[in-house]
Amino acid sequence: MNARIPSILRASQRALEMWGVIVAFVILFAVSTFNQGFDFLNPENFRALLNSNAPVGILAVGMTLVIISAGIDLSVGSMVVLAAAIGMTTMNSLVENGTSELNAVLLGGAVTILAGTVAGTFNGVLVVFGRIAPFIATLGGLAAFRSMSLAIADAGEIRSQSATMFSALGRGGVPIPGLLNSAGKPLTLSYSTVIFFVVAIIAQWFLSRSRFGRQLVAVGANETAARYAGISVSWVRLRVYSIMGLLAGIAALVQSSRMNSVSTSQLGLGSELDAIAAVVIGGTTLRGGFGRVWGTVVGVLILGMITNILTISGVSPYWQGAVKGAVIVLAVLVQRTSRE
Amino acid sequence: MVARSNPISSSAQAHKAQEDLNREILVVNSVTVDYPGVRALDAVSLAFRTGEIHAIVGENGAGKSTMMKVLSGVIRPTSGTIMLKGIQRQFTRPSDAIRAGIAMVHQELHLVGTLNVAENVLLGREPTRFLGVAVDHQRQHAVAGALLRQLGSDFDLSTLACDLSIAQQQFVEIAKCLASDARVLIFDEPTAVLGEVEANRLFVVMRRLRDEGRCVIFISHHLDEVISIADRITVLRDGKVVQAFSRNTSGIVQCEDGSIADEGRLAHAMVGHELSSIYPEKLYATCTSSAIELANFGATNKSHGISFSVAAGEILGIAGLVGSGRTETAEAIVGIRPCEGVLRVEGREIRFSNPRAAMRSGVAYVSEDRKNRGLHVTLSSICNMMLPSLDKVTRLGGIMIDSQSEQRISKNWIDAFQIRCARPMQAISSLSGGNQQKFALARWLEATPKVLIIDEPTRGVDVGARGEIYRIIAQLAREGLACIVISSELPEVIGIAHRVIVMREGRIAGEIPSERLALKDCQERIVRIASGLPEESVASK
Repeated sequence: MNARIPSILRASQRALEMWGVIVAFVILFAVSTFNQGFDFLNPENFRALLNSNAPVGILAVGMTLVIISAGIDLSVGSMVVLAAAIGMTTMNSLVENGTSELNAVLLGGAVTILAGTVAGTFNGVLVVFGRIAPFIATLGGLAAFRSMSLAIADAGEIRSQSATMFSALGRGGVPIPGLLNSAGKPLTLSYSTVIFFVVAIIAQWFLSRSRFGRQLVAVGANETAARYAGISVSWVRLRVYSIMGLLAGIAALVQSSRMNSVSTSQLGLGSELDAIAAVVIGGTTLRGGFGRVWGTVVGVLILGMITNILTISGVSPYWQGAVKGAVIVLAVLVQRTSRE
Repeated sequence: MVARSNPISSSAQAHKAQEDLNREILVVNSVTVDYPGVRALDAVSLAFRTGEIHAIVGENGAGKSTMMKVLSGVIRPTSGTIMLKGIQRQFTRPSDAIRAGIAMVHQELHLVGTLNVAENVLLGREPTRFLGVAVDHQRQHAVAGALLRQLGSDFDLSTLACDLSIAQQQFVEIAKCLASDARVLIFDEPTAVLGEVEANRLFVVMRRLRDEGRCVIFISHHLDEVISIADRITVLRDGKVVQAFSRNTSGIVQCEDGSIADEGRLAHAMVGHELSSIYPEKLYATCTSSAIELANFGATNKSHGISFSVAAGEILGIAGLVGSGRTETAEAIVGIRPCEGVLRVEGREIRFSNPRAAMRSGVAYVSEDRKNRGLHVTLSSICNMMLPSLDKVTRLGGIMIDSQSEQRISKNWIDAFQIRCARPMQAISSLSGGNQQKFALARWLEATPKVLIIDEPTRGVDVGARGEIYRIIAQLAREGLACIVISSELPEVIGIAHRVIVMREGRIAGEIPSERLALKDCQERIVRIASGLPEESVASK
């Protein structure tokens, strides 16, 4: 079928499959700059853009790995709220029982991450040992984890009892030398952004250089062949869902510390779709066996920039979903692979 | 050009009364196909006739598959034309070719597993009632049944396709082609997945289709089959027609100059030089301690009471029909399937729960199904190469892969096995069957096994590479590896194994010791055992 397409066209199609996400990013960046000028290029805008997208970004990094293994995790948004609710409740009861604030925050944070990991591992157990399709198993989680957190707080908000330390974690950051904000203070790169990038770099390294990454790709590309090659498919898949849970826990910590509270009905709502969208825009194939974390990071930025651009130009938030949807479909169309 | 300029006026079918026979139905005129960097077909001209079985042979990469893709509308040629029944045609997609009456029975079968036989046969052309709203199941059964009977096969039409054997699935595929009233049927290596008996049944069907005045195009790597069944043979090499053979009135296959052609002549035309015997010299093992021993072993529900032992340096052949439980037994040994009975590796009783555990104890299994099980076709050659032995190239406590040592190891095997691949990073699917198979072997050898089980070592592998693979296996045995070779190709098992056991219906039905392998009637003996006939042949009575 391909012989019909001239080779130059085919080569450029390949290139688009590979680098399309970068091209889209550059175009979007140029359009934003042209439209909004300094409003967009303002470092404070970038800071806000990164900061607000970091939690979804952290989830999307994990989602990339899950999707490469030919799986999916629909429960990430609910995992975030459950982990945050459990962590926050723990922290608050520690504070009320007279534990020092530092210890309460540290323990609460650890419990948040642990809760996410446990929830993720539970998904993995369902998929691997229960032999339930990932879509169904995590659809169950999507409903159940959210419901559990609603039950914990009677569908309300859990406010942090930590006076300063917990929110300092969410609001603070690393000062960027040489950049000042509009109030004349040093501009900071928020901790959430730093965590996002660190997580992404580690995940990309693991994907391309580690044994686990290689096995993950092999399992995603062809599970049977992987088993015949002596790879423990169950162990690989279990681990990838645990890692997803771990990252959901980290995202929960980032979110709850920023708000200094957990809204059990709102936190993480719809995050699974944003995360999957970022992964798809980034060029990871939904059927598994091929993917890259760096693409996902650019995908997160693209999604963030679209929201940013629409907000600055005063487009109604009701319309923003339509634009995002169009971009996601476009991304899949452009990257639709001619292989196979 | 070659084939066209030598019309065979007195072919074996000329005596048939039908006027429809021996008419040029499909003519290919100087067709060229260019792939990026490769000319797959170079001005090929060929004529296919009604009422003939026309075999196309050639090594992998000679252009056979490309030719068939052109005929079945999968690709459009760069230049050249196709004439069907005297009218110039241009197929832009496979459905065009099917509508014009050219149907292909693919090597990979494409039945819908959840539908039954009758539904599969008439898929897309279901007879209907109530103004085309409801499927007429009675007529569907009647029509599909008639088509299958026409093929001489008679099985339950309400069986689900996923419950059929591969041979049965193939018959359903053929019936599908007949349902579309195809006048030209292309068989792409149909016998690759069939055992001897099933293949013979297929040949009966092919002859019947020919006698009905259809044009049967047959692609095969098995030269003996080609010689025995084809009315005309076209040999492709490097995208060109290099030689044509035809069967004369007395049923003997001849070259253009009239001399008698045999498999050797065909092989010679295919590779361009004489092949010395492709089987290496057998060196019998001196070691007697058994590397692997099975006692009353079996794959649950698939095979029973299997007992044999293979010494280090010995090659044991396992022959038998497809479905006789050979592959299942091998899979049970390495823990892919549940098993029963006793398994001993180097004298120690053991049972593996998965291929990983088997590999740790030095037992490796090279699957017969390269595409779906043996290799990851979408991944690179290096990646495929290293998967079973990633432990060997990791640093930082087994976490990180050292890409340099990984490349070095792959390079060593590429050199050692003379694997032809442009870049080790390219997807392994772009390599020929032979080179893929060498990678599939090399990856397990890198894991340094003591026992190697190779299932169908040369399926889909061309003649040249076959010889190389046989030499590799012989060399491995010489170095002390215990090899078990499972194969449906009798000359292969006989040619390479030191000893052959024959399986039938999940049990060992007979054994051919080394001293009898060299005897002339050996092949016949194996066929008789495999199909449940008395072992002594008619000839020896």
